[in-house]
Amino acid sequence: MSALLRVERLSGGYEPVQVFRDVDLVVEDRACVGLFGPNGHGKTTLLRTISGLIDPWSGDVIFDGVVLNRPGERRSRSSRNLNYDILVRRRMDPTRVARAGLVHVAQGSPLFPELTVAETLSVAVTAARAGGRAADVDMPYVLFPQLKARRQSKARFLSGGERQMLAMACGMLAAPRLLMLDEPTLGLSPKLRVELADAVHAIRATGVPIILVDQDIEFLRDLVDVLNIFDHGSISAAMARADIPDHDAVMAQMFGGAR
Amino acid sequence: MDLQSFVSILISGVALGVLYALMAFGLAIVWTTLGIFNFAHGAFIAVGAYLAWQFGSAAGLGLGYLPGAGLAVAAMFLLGVATQFVLVRPFERQKDIVLLTVITTLAGATILTNLLNVVWGPRMKQIEPAAGGELSFGLVHLRSQEAIMVVVVGATLAALAWFLLRTATGRSMRAVAQNREAAQLMGLDVHRLYALTFGLAAAVAGLAGIFIASIRFMSPNMGDDPLQKAIVVVILGGVARFTYSIYAAFVVGMIEAFSTYYVGLYWTPAVLFGLMILVLIVKPEGLFGRRQRSV
Repeated sequence: MSALLRVERLSGGYEPVQVFRDVDLVVEDRACVGLFGPNGHGKTTLLRTISGLIDPWSGDVIFDGVVLNRPGERRSRSSRNLNYDILVRRRMDPTRVARAGLVHVAQGSPLFPELTVAETLSVAVTAARAGGRAADVDMPYVLFPQLKARRQSKARFLSGGERQMLAMACGMLAAPRLLMLDEPTLGLSPKLRVELADAVHAIRATGVPIILVDQDIEFLRDLVDVLNIFDHGSISAAMARADIPDHDAVMAQMFGGAR
Repeated sequence: MDLQSFVSILISGVALGVLYALMAFGLAIVWTTLGIFNFAHGAFIAVGAYLAWQFGSAAGLGLGYLPGAGLAVAAMFLLGVATQFVLVRPFERQKDIVLLTVITTLAGATILTNLLNVVWGPRMKQIEPAAGGELSFGLVHLRSQEAIMVVVVGATLAALAWFLLRTATGRSMRAVAQNREAAQLMGLDVHRLYALTFGLAAAVAGLAGIFIASIRFMSPNMGDDPLQKAIVVVILGGVARFTYSIYAAFVVGMIEAFSTYYVGLYWTPAVLFGLMILVLIVKPEGLFGRRQRSV
């Protein structure tokens, strides 16, 4: 069978700094793939490139048998600096990626500060329908009962955990073929982490394939089928669930030190 | 001061406020949604007036006031979309887009104004008012055209507010304004929403031009003064939301009406700009404003 998402020799970064190079990543259908690595090594940049927010420098993103990027390398520096965006086409279009069903829930996204929870969810539904997918309107409140009480609150009055729930609910409303979650438990209290972890488990139970970025190896071990260690801008190791070491072993492996 | 003049000033303040609200609306939604300042807005006002004159008046195609105005507003929508595509969209990914679009929209304004000069000539014209004469209720006297304007503008602004707050497309526009990236990740078509915003702004500017041309006169430069006023209104109100500009429009209208009576016609712009500078010093986010920008 063919893989759902195939990232081939993808390189990218923020002009002029290259953040990651020659990343190969394969996600099988119905699988959950973990991405684990230290801060500042380019995990978020990789996800932002896969979802088209920033242009890849080289390499391909193949989703569901379709190449999402325009073929070829990035343009020469002089043509990239041209003012005319229309003449210098971007290699990827985030709207197209999202509409193909590859949905990215960004890290700590403030979402739409002045829209209420209900309005935000309705925007997600509008976007999903514009992409030709049917959205299950009641699903967010089933997945996250807390959101129901906060329906009329603006996003900027939500707590960090509620905002993360809302972002994940919006991602799920898009009826994703593949969901990319970027550190859903970032900066949350231990109690909330457990709640969010439960939510990720619930999403996992619906059978949606996930790429999950997180810093908590125990959390990842419960969820993922394959764990990729992301280190200095490339994937340094991939291991099946049974081979995932515990927290201390990973720390020792990455940073050295006594076992 | 007697009651009669006080009421007259109030009415003229309301009429001015209504007009300024219409003029500032487009500027405000373009700023809140795209994050740029459209200096071609004044030119849009003039083009709208000339198109309505061309379509509607007997000297032009002679279709009548309403069909002429309707056609002009529709054409302005298309002009707005085209302007966004040519003058703004190419620079979308540039870091200094605000500065770049100041120049490109200024260029657009110059081109449009000169085009009007070439096509219709610099001589003053007027669109025949939809209704002549005056209305009076007790102390209240106002021109019928002004009464029509107040009603039409009120309805237009209410419709626009309903569109932005209650419809799916309007909500998407607000979402894009607040967080472009999150909107893209959800799969909203940002370019289409930007084009729609610009088209809407231009259409409303055209409507304002039509009203100005039937209350006052029209010339290719007729948009310069409204642009200045709209800038004052938008800055006074704060750019956080389009509703703030509407409130501020009435504040500015009232101040202008009273200042014209007490201070005099020639010093009124100075009063307004002085007030604007004062607000920028004391409360830079605007009279009603918050720092966050959102429609």
